Amino acid sequence: MKRSTESTPNRYPTEKLVRCPICEAVNYDTQSIIRCRRCKELIYKHKQISYHKTLAFLITAAILYIPANVYPILITRQLGTLQENTILGGIIALWEAGSYPVALIILLASVFVPILKFLFISYLLITSKYNMKSSKVDQHKLFYITEAIGSWSMVDVFVVAILSVLIHFSSIQIIPGTGATAFALMVFFTMLSALSFDIRLIKH
Amino acid sequence: MPSHELDNFIICKKCHTLHKKVPLAHDTKAVCRYCDTVIYRNHRDLFNTTLALAITALILLIVSFSFTILTINIKGVNQSLNFASMFIVMFEHHYYFVGIMLGFLVMLFPLIILSSTILLLILMKYRKYPYLVKRLLILIAKLIPWSMIDIFFISILVAMVKLFDFTQIDVDVGFISFIAVLLLDFMIIKRISFNELWINYEEIYRINA
Repeated sequence: MKRSTESTPNRYPTEKLVRCPICEAVNYDTQSIIRCRRCKELIYKHKQISYHKTLAFLITAAILYIPANVYPILITRQLGTLQENTILGGIIALWEAGSYPVALIILLASVFVPILKFLFISYLLITSKYNMKSSKVDQHKLFYITEAIGSWSMVDVFVVAILSVLIHFSSIQIIPGTGATAFALMVFFTMLSALSFDIRLIKH
Repeated sequence: MPSHELDNFIICKKCHTLHKKVPLAHDTKAVCRYCDTVIYRNHRDLFNTTLALAITALILLIVSFSFTILTINIKGVNQSLNFASMFIVMFEHHYYFVGIMLGFLVMLFPLIILSSTILLLILMKYRKYPYLVKRLLILIAKLIPWSMIDIFFISILVAMVKLFDFTQIDVDVGFISFIAVLLLDFMIIKRISFNELWINYEEIYRINA
């Protein structure tokens, strides 16, 4: 392993340079629209537009989080009787059945990850809006984590899809519930929200 | 500073610290001095090895799409899971949105990413069609956050644990090849860096022009 970087000369302040999210080239920050000098893609639009876009997607996702938890995500039909399970209900059932690791994975992926994403993105939006003093490096890391954990919430939706294929007998059947659609939409919008966040909102 | 001098710099993807690039020896990597994230590597034979890995991954991905992943047995009745059946069952239950999302995130996007990587590397090897190569590079970068085969694999494992108590589960060819795809995908993502590809792109097609 080799430590890169001699210390960067002070006359090129990092604040004036941005990284292209597509080709990783270093670009000058023009404060408005940026077209990457290497891949020629429109990588940054106006900061305010992306601020509002992120906020709008975040609110949509937060609203969808309610039906995702209230409506059943999984319905078991056994000999004519229906048993409906919400996400939390499913986790509690798993915990009581003794499958602690799986209960923890689902709790982490379906409950904590979306809430953490809501908190992280709102924190980043609020600090950028009110120019609050906080460590830029930490904010960049927070945003990186938000992007990295984004897709993990899909675990529950995929599990429901897999189970509804496998448990498809005449005596017992698993059917996806309305919560599954709401949940999938919620994940979709949180991902859009993270993708439309402008990294320059952190820098200034 | 003229803008071509910016090529001597690179920004860490995690903490956005500006670094000046230094030449690396073969098979070594440069890490960010603040957060220890790998910023770039120098591979001995980036193109050929990545191409080989990507072709293998694509073949195995097609294998896991066309064969059964799991079979369960409840009281003598078998039920098996494959990628297409999941898509169909979701449509049968009128969950169109979830079905379409599954189709895109688990099947279509990984397939497009792998086949574009292969096409891209072949075209770059033969120094042909710069415009197409550029579009493919942009396409792959945009699709990578939307490919969820790793999450899907975790979901299969979770579903298996859930079913473990009351059924017998048989693992099939699809499952084994899916594990192989994941490992290869991880290796490809780890070794490929867009920065390197773009630098190579510029070098190759500037000589050609």
